[in-house]
Amino acid sequence: MIRKSGWLVFIVFFAALLALVYLFAGPAIRIGMVYSLEKAVGAEVNISKVSLELAPLALRVNNLQITDAAKPTHNSLSFGHARAALELWPALLGYYVIEELTVDGLQYGAQRSSEGAVYRQPGAEGEKVDIAKLLQVDLPDADELIGRANLQTPAKAEALKQLAATEQQQLKGLQDQLPTKDTLAQYQAEIKALTDSKIANAADLAAKAQQLQQLKDKLNAEKAKVDQVKQQLTLSKDNLQQAVAELKAASSEDYAKVQQLANLSDGGLAGISQILLGDLWGQRIAQLQSLYLLAKPYLPEKTASTAENSAEPEVILPNRILPLPGQPYPDFWVKQARVNWLIGGGEATIALQDITAQHALINSATKFSLDVKQLPQLAAFNLSGDFAILQQMVTNLNWQLDGLNLQPMTLGKGDSALDLAAGLISSGGKLNLTDNRITQQANVVLNAANFNSSGNKYLQQLAGLLNQQQQIPFNITTTGLVSAPDVSIRSSLDKLLGDALLGEAKQKVAAYQSELQAKLNSQLQSGLAGQQDWAALLTQQDGAVTDAGSSIETMLNAKLADVKDQAKDKLKDKLLNKLGGGN
Amino acid sequence: MLTLVAKILKVLNSEASPWQIGWAIALGLFAGILPFGLLTLLIILIVCLLTINLSTFIVVWGLTSGLMLLFADPLERLTWQYAQNDSLLQLLANTETLQLLHLHHTLTLGAFVLGAVLLLPIAWLSKMLVMQYRVRVMNSVQKWKIMQMLKASKLFALYEKLN
Repeated sequence: MIRKSGWLVFIVFFAALLALVYLFAGPAIRIGMVYSLEKAVGAEVNISKVSLELAPLALRVNNLQITDAAKPTHNSLSFGHARAALELWPALLGYYVIEELTVDGLQYGAQRSSEGAVYRQPGAEGEKVDIAKLLQVDLPDADELIGRANLQTPAKAEALKQLAATEQQQLKGLQDQLPTKDTLAQYQAEIKALTDSKIANAADLAAKAQQLQQLKDKLNAEKAKVDQVKQQLTLSKDNLQQAVAELKAASSEDYAKVQQLANLSDGGLAGISQILLGDLWGQRIAQLQSLYLLAKPYLPEKTASTAENSAEPEVILPNRILPLPGQPYPDFWVKQARVNWLIGGGEATIALQDITAQHALINSATKFSLDVKQLPQLAAFNLSGDFAILQQMVTNLNWQLDGLNLQPMTLGKGDSALDLAAGLISSGGKLNLTDNRITQQANVVLNAANFNSSGNKYLQQLAGLLNQQQQIPFNITTTGLVSAPDVSIRSSLDKLLGDALLGEAKQKVAAYQSELQAKLNSQLQSGLAGQQDWAALLTQQDGAVTDAGSSIETMLNAKLADVKDQAKDKLKDKLLNKLGGGN
Repeated sequence: MLTLVAKILKVLNSEASPWQIGWAIALGLFAGILPFGLLTLLIILIVCLLTINLSTFIVVWGLTSGLMLLFADPLERLTWQYAQNDSLLQLLANTETLQLLHLHHTLTLGAFVLGAVLLLPIAWLSKMLVMQYRVRVMNSVQKWKIMQMLKASKLFALYEKLN
């Protein structure tokens, strides 16, 4: 049952298939690339042509442009052409081993000929690291600086206000319980009436004594109330005094903090450069998190205990290739790559070796280096580093950049705008990223800067100060988690900058503090004065109640003595009568 | 569409042996389940070399490929779950021929196993169905009024033309 023409049919089919692949693979890959890139970046992607070369097997991409979603008139990334030469045998086995990858004319932030469409507005994470953006800092005004200094006084003042109101309320409540003057006078009248009355017999005496005792008990109860109010008053006085002491302490602490911000020497708590650049650098560093997330599926699984704790989705390798115990090639592996990067008005070549995510398989780390000199806008740039995913993801990066000409730019806006007309940037540093923990140290020096400002007098003063400096150095260190890095920026110019920039802030803080002090004093005086009146009243009432109590005691005793005397006299008379009658 | 129905009717009513049609359906299904690759080319070579009905093979291959747009994802997930076997992974790692056939790709492995398991039963079942059709249905179908109407229609003209 063999078909005689079987081989012929098969060969014709196979040839037709190859012809189809050759003709349509390029456009099909182009459509696929545009679709997936647009889906990933959320903005228009243009590729003018993708072609397939059969011998040797290679893919060529011409003119790729990825629109910057945040700025559609510019590309986030673009290149003239790229060529990837694929090894045939690994490709047949399903592994992408690229012998050589070349990218020419790579550019960041190049202008587009026409505005690109944006399909998804960029989030915070989608931003690209951009040195120009890094320097475009909004200089904070005095109010912002006061805000960033995290002053304690306003909170404490508010707390005191609240406390005073609560205490007043409580005292008012207690006031109703106190004996009024009329009540006290009535007690006096009752006592007088009792003591002035004559006692007829022993039963009358007992009844009166009981009435007096009841009166005394009532007075004791009133006295207890007065004592309680007195206690409460003392307590509230203590509370208020404590709150006032806290407010005073916070106020002086704040003042010290503002002073410190303004007069900072190296190694102080926080510098003005930290305030200016700290958050920004932190945000930029946090973008390295995406590198860790990309590498994460390739990292070996952690121990059972840590795996249990994290409720993360299952790690899935791309293309759903089974995790073979000893696969012959990594899933993808670019052996050599050469990227021509348009920078500083010229072209720099980055050489990369062994780009993969499975370094254990090739027993080598990904290495990259860049070394350029004497470009029109850049004196020298040297960058080198390595990257490996083994038990952990480890990235090391060292750089040295000299004399990068800065384009004129405006820092800040409106009243606090500072124009940088010219300047040269130099920077050196190193960075280590182990999994999601970063250690980074860098120095950035701005040379021959020329600042202008038409803003307020402090900024003009600042621009003048900065222009006097030959060098404006910054030391930047970052440690901790990439997602929440601890950034420290120090500059020997901190004091200088602080004096200038914080001049306005200091004045505002001082004005704020004196205003606060005045308000506080008046509030305290009215509040505490009220309390003093209260205290006097209470003392007076306490005295009155005590007096009334003791006068009852005295009168009671006197009355008893009187009754006893009367009884004695009566007895005496009776005895004398009896004795007289017997004579 | 009319051409497709005419082709199927032509094959069913032709002199082609039920086994040729049965194998064409089974191999068409196999080729359709598999992602296109070296294994597909091997199946095509077998179909070309043996006297297997080509029209039926191509029609079933096309239909199954369409159906796989729906079933590829569940099949891939199922295979990923059951293929985590040390000895299987070791075998795949050590044999480059198996990797050449892309059997270390989850979907290809799953489709290959499913296709291989279904191959013989589908071939036999299809053969039986063709035989049953020819014995019981073909003659009565010819006599149906609808068939008479069809004979007068465009479809029949097409059918005749293909004959």
